[in-house]
Amino acid sequence: MDALLSQIAGAGDTYVNVYLGFLRWAAPILALLILLRVCLPLLTFRREPEIWAWLILRDGKKLAITHWENVIGRHRNSDVVIDFPTVSRSHAVLTRYDDGSWTITDAGSKSGVFVNGEQGQIFALTPDDVISIGGVEMQLQPITRRQEQRLAQIRTQAGSFFGSLVNVVLLTLFQILCCLGLLLGGAGDHGQDILLGFGGIMVCQWALLLFYALIRRSSFEVETIAFFLCTMGMAAIATVVPGECVKQLISLVLGLAAFLGIGWALRDLERAKIMRYLATAAGLGFLVITLVFGREINGAKNWLIIGSLSIQLSELSKVCFVWAGASTMDRLMNKRNLILFIAYSVMICACLALMRDFGTALIFFCAFLVIAYLRSGSVGTVALAITSLGFAGVVALRIAPHALRRFANWRHIWEAPLDGGYQQTRSLMCMASGGLLGLGANQGYMENIFAADSDMVFATIGEEWGLILVLLMIAAVVVLALFAVRSASVGRSSFYTIGACTAGAILLVQVILNALGTVDVVPLTGVTFPFVSNGGSSMIGAWGLLAFVKAADTRQNGSFAVRMNKKGRDEDE
Amino acid sequence: MNRITNRSWIVVVLALALVAGSVLFVWEFVTQGPDWVYFSGSPHVYDGLKPEKGVLTDRNGVLLLNLGEGTYATDSQVRRAMLHWTGDRQGNIATPLLSQYLRQMTGFDLLNGVYAYADAPGVMELTLSAKVQTAALEALGDAKGTVAVYNYKTGQILCAVSTPSFDPDDVPDVAGDTSGIYDGVYLNRFTQVTYTPGSIFKLVTTAVALETIPDILRQDFTCTGVLEVGGGTVTCERAHGTMGLYEALANSCNCTYANIAQQIGGERLQRYAEAFGITGKLSFDGYSTAAGSLNAADASLYELSWAGIGQHTDLVNPCQFLSFVGAIANGGAGTVPHVVDRITVGDRVTYRAEPERMDRIMSADTARILREMMRNNVEEKYGDENFPDILVCAKSGTAEMDGDVASNALFTGFVMDEEYPLAFIVVVQEGGYGSHTGMPIINKVLTACMEVLDEE
Repeated sequence: MDALLSQIAGAGDTYVNVYLGFLRWAAPILALLILLRVCLPLLTFRREPEIWAWLILRDGKKLAITHWENVIGRHRNSDVVIDFPTVSRSHAVLTRYDDGSWTITDAGSKSGVFVNGEQGQIFALTPDDVISIGGVEMQLQPITRRQEQRLAQIRTQAGSFFGSLVNVVLLTLFQILCCLGLLLGGAGDHGQDILLGFGGIMVCQWALLLFYALIRRSSFEVETIAFFLCTMGMAAIATVVPGECVKQLISLVLGLAAFLGIGWALRDLERAKIMRYLATAAGLGFLVITLVFGREINGAKNWLIIGSLSIQLSELSKVCFVWAGASTMDRLMNKRNLILFIAYSVMICACLALMRDFGTALIFFCAFLVIAYLRSGSVGTVALAITSLGFAGVVALRIAPHALRRFANWRHIWEAPLDGGYQQTRSLMCMASGGLLGLGANQGYMENIFAADSDMVFATIGEEWGLILVLLMIAAVVVLALFAVRSASVGRSSFYTIGACTAGAILLVQVILNALGTVDVVPLTGVTFPFVSNGGSSMIGAWGLLAFVKAADTRQNGSFAVRMNKKGRDEDE
Repeated sequence: MNRITNRSWIVVVLALALVAGSVLFVWEFVTQGPDWVYFSGSPHVYDGLKPEKGVLTDRNGVLLLNLGEGTYATDSQVRRAMLHWTGDRQGNIATPLLSQYLRQMTGFDLLNGVYAYADAPGVMELTLSAKVQTAALEALGDAKGTVAVYNYKTGQILCAVSTPSFDPDDVPDVAGDTSGIYDGVYLNRFTQVTYTPGSIFKLVTTAVALETIPDILRQDFTCTGVLEVGGGTVTCERAHGTMGLYEALANSCNCTYANIAQQIGGERLQRYAEAFGITGKLSFDGYSTAAGSLNAADASLYELSWAGIGQHTDLVNPCQFLSFVGAIANGGAGTVPHVVDRITVGDRVTYRAEPERMDRIMSADTARILREMMRNNVEEKYGDENFPDILVCAKSGTAEMDGDVASNALFTGFVMDEEYPLAFIVVVQEGGYGSHTGMPIINKVLTACMEVLDEE
């Protein structure tokens, strides 16, 4: 009887090994398939402009107005180019509002903007108004509701709901396979936690997909990428600290709430602009609260401890910073707004310098550079450059002694493998030991390394799931950012475009610092991998940033954070 | 809007930076990955400073060491005979073999990493034969020294025993021992030790003479038993009378060899000995032998005379000298000896030793004449009856030691048989006369070798 029992147990072992061996191949192949299906549409979708109005010139020429904010001017990069000597390079801004009304604003032109013969700074427009710019007369003809509906029908839909459904089915299969691997690979007493964690992700993604189906949104690519990354993060947590799987799931739910909430707020540009003040205050407030009540851990005062919860408010502050940095075109033309943003950045900079968190400071700095570059026309470039220099200077002076220690071992980790280069050398040893396919779920050593589920998570996943999979993770984030860039040219408002591009840039910088820091290509700075690293604040921050990417997705039926364009003026042709 | 769109390239730059960094990392992963995996302390491969797993067997599959389970051979004699190749648990005797071939032992490849290593560590099959090793261990008895046999065509070392030895499963109190029976027990006398060669060095001197003195075979030498050289005397055990080179080597005539060394000259003797590799290190399978020495270049005439005889400050390493004798047997160009035959991980062969030819160190003619002379030694002096089943070519050495100790006995040579291309060396510390002590030992070992080869 005993012999029989041990034989059965032995047979079980064999099956486990066969399954884990199978999973080594199945996981990267399935992940590749999912990401190919998801990323290709994001990188190749046809950028079909939405048409919001026609500008009719005196000679009968009709110019399509394809954005909500349009610069009219002589410069060839203007949205409406009027190559006439009396027209300034950037003459005026034509702006559409959520309710379908339009205004024209003088963008500091030499000869001024005239409507019905009167000169002024800003005018509300009706279709009968005659606009005169540098002597060129024109009329604005917003499209009718019927035209708008017809355009909506003509435009290519953002993927099919069925396609999204298939993607989620594949992702669910991937999650089931991974979860099973982790359970069989030696989950110990934490089987339930792991099941809950993975099961929770599946429930979340299906609930979100169902919600999209109800509001007739068919695109789920960006979300699929995020859920894929969350799955890999859960796999790392299941190996390193399986007891925290449920905690991470709760973070994911909070992240989704932030995603939907911010997306909803951005959906209405007027609302988004009003809430921008709130976000601006919150962004600074979070940092100040951290400074006052925060606790210093590992040299950086970046943690707020409430009971058993530890929160990094700076992660949320990032999202607010993006919000504060985004701006509509008419305001971009105004120097005062730029100066206000610079002043705001200086205050953020001061807080970061006091916190002495090098990684976070670097992320903010890059975000600032991106926003500054996107915003600055000819007017503010110099001011922004000077501010950024100051930003860098203050951060460097304040943080340098602390950060220098990290730099000391950079590209020299093998000279101090048991000291300053310990984490990185172990990471490289473990990743190389895993090869392209990994050692299998729960078979890694990285769990013994400090921060294996957060700062070093790249190596933890690389060791168990292989190099191919972690490269796919990087590729996924790159695709998210490139999608934001591609969406820019068909963006409705610069508010969304700046938001999406900055969010994409922050995601990229975080991956650069996390993944490349782990493998000693850049200095290790202790930054989280968005969606992957264990940590509630980081998770919420990542989903918040994703909402900005969604808000710039103007593909037909593409995004919940974008209203479908059917709200033209109710008027017959 | 167009302007903002045009400026969004800055995000593309960041994306490119991430892609470029990733490409750099993948490049390093591909080119340096193995180095990372085998870096000291790498968690999946090392257990502390030792490799974590690995199995060592002899040429016939006899288990010598299972590192993962910490077990040695089942037979105590095999454990003793193989000690200096398997190492001990305490780390007093190191074995570089498993570390040297870690990559092959783990079955590492880029695709799978060390995935296979966890369940099926590599099996390293040595060229050594447990049967021959135990025969050699028993033949050496209580003596300290080494016996080694290698195939001079393939380079395979069939036997390399070092004594004294002990059973790693029954470790004696080495530190507390006062009898001296464990002196130098941690040393592998085959690779790590150098000995005064005595008369076996005359093979080197003869080779140089054949290469550099055109009429050396036509010269007659006269030995009166004593030769006055530069204020000192070189002596033979008896007066050998007048003889040619063949006879001089067979008689191992010191006076003649003092004469020949002077004819060669110190600088030339030094240069050739170095070219023969006598003074260098030999490296194989992670081992690097002790370097021999010869100080002939600046020596006085007296010192040069003794240097040519294999005394003075001459030192040779048994392994190194064995490969020199192998070169003579093999026509003037030897084969690098090795102990690792092949490594398999599961069904996959990850390493297979190939014969590695060394540079030619002497002309084929010189090698042929030396072979004839060494054959002549056995026929005329040592006696073929000492080797009932085989034709052996050999040279003995009796190295006189400082102080009141018996001479070291050395005996080296090779089997003259295409079927058994075996070269050998025996060193017995304080063993007395080289041929007297060495012949019975090497006869037993060679017989065992041939049995093993016949069985294969």
